[in-house]
Amino acid sequence: MTAPTVEKPASAEELARRLHEAAASKLAVAPVGGGKARGMGGVIERCDVLLHTTRLDRMIEHSQADMVVSVEAGITLEALQAELAKTGQFLPLDPFHSPGHTIGGLLATGWTGPLRLRYGSPRDFLIGIRVALPDGTLASGGGRVVKNVSGYDMMKLHYAALGSLGVIVAASFKVFPKPLHDVTVSSHGGWTDIDRALGAPVAPAALELFSDGGVLARYSGSPDAVDRVVTELGWRRVGGEVWDEHARRGPERWARITVARAELPKVMEALPPGAQWWASPGAGIAHWANTNDAGSIRVVRSAVEARGGTLVMLAAPDEFMREVGAWGAPPSTLEIQRRLKNAFDPDHVLNPGRFVI
Amino acid sequence: MPLPQPVAEELRRIVGRESVIDAPNDLRIFERDGSIEGAVPDAVVLASSTEHVSAVIKVAAKHRIPVVPRGAGTGLSGGAVTIRGGIALQVTRMRKILAIDPVAQTALVEPGVVNQELSLVAAQHGLFYAPDPSSQKACTIGGNAAENSGGPHCLYYGVTTNHVLGMEVVLADGSVHWVSGDAPDRVGLDLCGVLVGSEGTLCAITKIKVRLLRIPPSIATMLAAFPSIETASQAVSAVIGHGIVPAALEMMDSVTVGAVEAHYHAGYPTDAGAVLLVEVDGIAESTRELMAAIGKILGENQGYAIREAQTPAERELLWAGRKGAIGALGRIKPNYYLHDGVVPRSRLPQVLSAVGEIGEHYQLPVANVFHAGDGNLHPNILFDLRDRQVLHQVEAAGEEMLRAVVELGGALSGEHGIGLEKSAFMPWIYNPDDLGAMHRVKDVFDADGILNPGKIFPDPSRKSVHLAGRTGLAVEAKWW
Repeated sequence: MTAPTVEKPASAEELARRLHEAAASKLAVAPVGGGKARGMGGVIERCDVLLHTTRLDRMIEHSQADMVVSVEAGITLEALQAELAKTGQFLPLDPFHSPGHTIGGLLATGWTGPLRLRYGSPRDFLIGIRVALPDGTLASGGGRVVKNVSGYDMMKLHYAALGSLGVIVAASFKVFPKPLHDVTVSSHGGWTDIDRALGAPVAPAALELFSDGGVLARYSGSPDAVDRVVTELGWRRVGGEVWDEHARRGPERWARITVARAELPKVMEALPPGAQWWASPGAGIAHWANTNDAGSIRVVRSAVEARGGTLVMLAAPDEFMREVGAWGAPPSTLEIQRRLKNAFDPDHVLNPGRFVI
Repeated sequence: MPLPQPVAEELRRIVGRESVIDAPNDLRIFERDGSIEGAVPDAVVLASSTEHVSAVIKVAAKHRIPVVPRGAGTGLSGGAVTIRGGIALQVTRMRKILAIDPVAQTALVEPGVVNQELSLVAAQHGLFYAPDPSSQKACTIGGNAAENSGGPHCLYYGVTTNHVLGMEVVLADGSVHWVSGDAPDRVGLDLCGVLVGSEGTLCAITKIKVRLLRIPPSIATMLAAFPSIETASQAVSAVIGHGIVPAALEMMDSVTVGAVEAHYHAGYPTDAGAVLLVEVDGIAESTRELMAAIGKILGENQGYAIREAQTPAERELLWAGRKGAIGALGRIKPNYYLHDGVVPRSRLPQVLSAVGEIGEHYQLPVANVFHAGDGNLHPNILFDLRDRQVLHQVEAAGEEMLRAVVELGGALSGEHGIGLEKSAFMPWIYNPDDLGAMHRVKDVFDADGILNPGKIFPDPSRKSVHLAGRTGLAVEAKWW
């Protein structure tokens, strides 16, 4: 296998052209953003062109009054946040394996972090998208308004599709004002403390549980309400920088577990003793680090899938990935999904073998 | 045109003799939804189960007959209108709340469940369903999911798509599928996300799993008057600019306020150029603090007669005025055409002044009542259908208003859908490549185009909207 050609187009139009050229020659294309999630998905079957979005790093427009931002896909999350911070706003996205994610990469992978509990995922605040398709067209969906039902929701089609239908070149988001007050507290009470926090009248903005029983909770909003709940919980106040530290987690081998949140405690019991993990119990998401035993992955995956959940490998050596499989059981709508793939990428030049379709 | 007799018989075998309506007089009440244009279906089929929906669609697919899923018919963009004839597939008999899980905070419902009924039942568990279209007393969850409906409280809580966890759907070949479910981040493409808001053009919806939220312990509602729409818009931006996103932030112009006050006596200040209705919720500490901050910001931005509802009854009354505003406008003219457009919030003053000018130009009264926090405007063109010439004026004025919305960077619809009403305008906001990508999706789900044909995409065979020919019946029956 020869080394893939590296393309770093400087504009969306150029990227669409390069993609079309490759597709016309039936060359396999792997879109690359910050390269932080390259381990996600099946081992890629062929790769002739690495199509980088990193030069598409412009902030297209930020309207402070409208709380809407449009960016090119190659901008890093940190660069975007720095720009938004100048006006007291932010994108409520704090993915693991930070820093260095590009916006396009985060949209393609669907990676999120602890703030998902309060703000949802980009699925909820992505309001516009522009995608280069293998036939060389650039297709947009949505717009720059916060509420929009004009035509099909093309954002949902491409979000977390791992670049299987096209390459995201630009996106617009609804952004949020930084909260008036933001307090982080920690405890060591495990699931008991999680239940306490989730049952309290003020919902945390983020709530993380660690395999050693540690708990981190973040409360934001009106100062009186935040102070009341923090006082009632009686947990130790810690500095907000713990969240940056937490977001840096990105082991060489790890898996993501998702399940209905009420099922999460049972699922986590299926993990082998001593397993290292952290979870957002309110969201039904957990990350399992240093997963090196294929047998226990299979056991946990079947426990999760029996409850309607998923276990997806986020990174592992190729051989291990082939052994356990990246995705687990295919969705029941696989046949329709394949037809969508064929409609957008008829020659299967985008990320062949990496996604489920 | 009636269905061929053998087809009608096939349908009767599926749902039962009495559940297929095809007598011309009986079909007329299915001619329209809440929008302005209508068309009589060839038959109405009243489905009671997923099996019915699936079998009916199979028959339609075999004979290439259009099928239009239909809920309560409250839609405002013609989504449920059988513009190409065929079968109106009525799902309002499927109205069971199948399960409420208070621990998981979810509900599983059939598509004909009425929006408000779900919240009323969920309230027994201290829960509610957040999307609250103004038609919530009548509209169905299935229709809400098909249209991706909004409502006043979507400013904070998000629209329907943010609350649908999964759906059981019937595709154009009659096959039944579950898309998504309780677990987040499922493997594969997000078909559920694509199908919500697809306006019946990609699937029929037969079950919906939705997220429920805990009823906040404290709710505070405030009313403030402003000298003008501009000053009120400025105040909206100021509130949000201070980092406060209220649960709802609604505006009414002076025309609306006059009509609402005459009807509801809710204490709306009738001398105002515009009125804002602001609501926050949470624990008492939070609502108290936020209301104090909001009241101060409104005051600093020329707000006056600022008043907070002191009792739940007062709050209800303030909301009754807002949610019943459209009906109250009947005091001014018997008919209205309610438009829906959305602009970046900061463009509200500009777009509303354009709307006012267009109304004046056509000599049509316009009342504005809308979701200011979202930039989602709803100009209501008021008219009297007995003046038959006026419809063309109403239509032309509405089109110009939408044009103004688009020219200010907005979108054709914030929550009503494209349907029949706005399909011709889609090329204003999407180029052929954009529309081509959407068409690929349509072709994958419904290659023969039997599901709700003639919607969303511009239809070259329809040169313009012909209102007069369709409305004769309605005028005679005094439905308007």
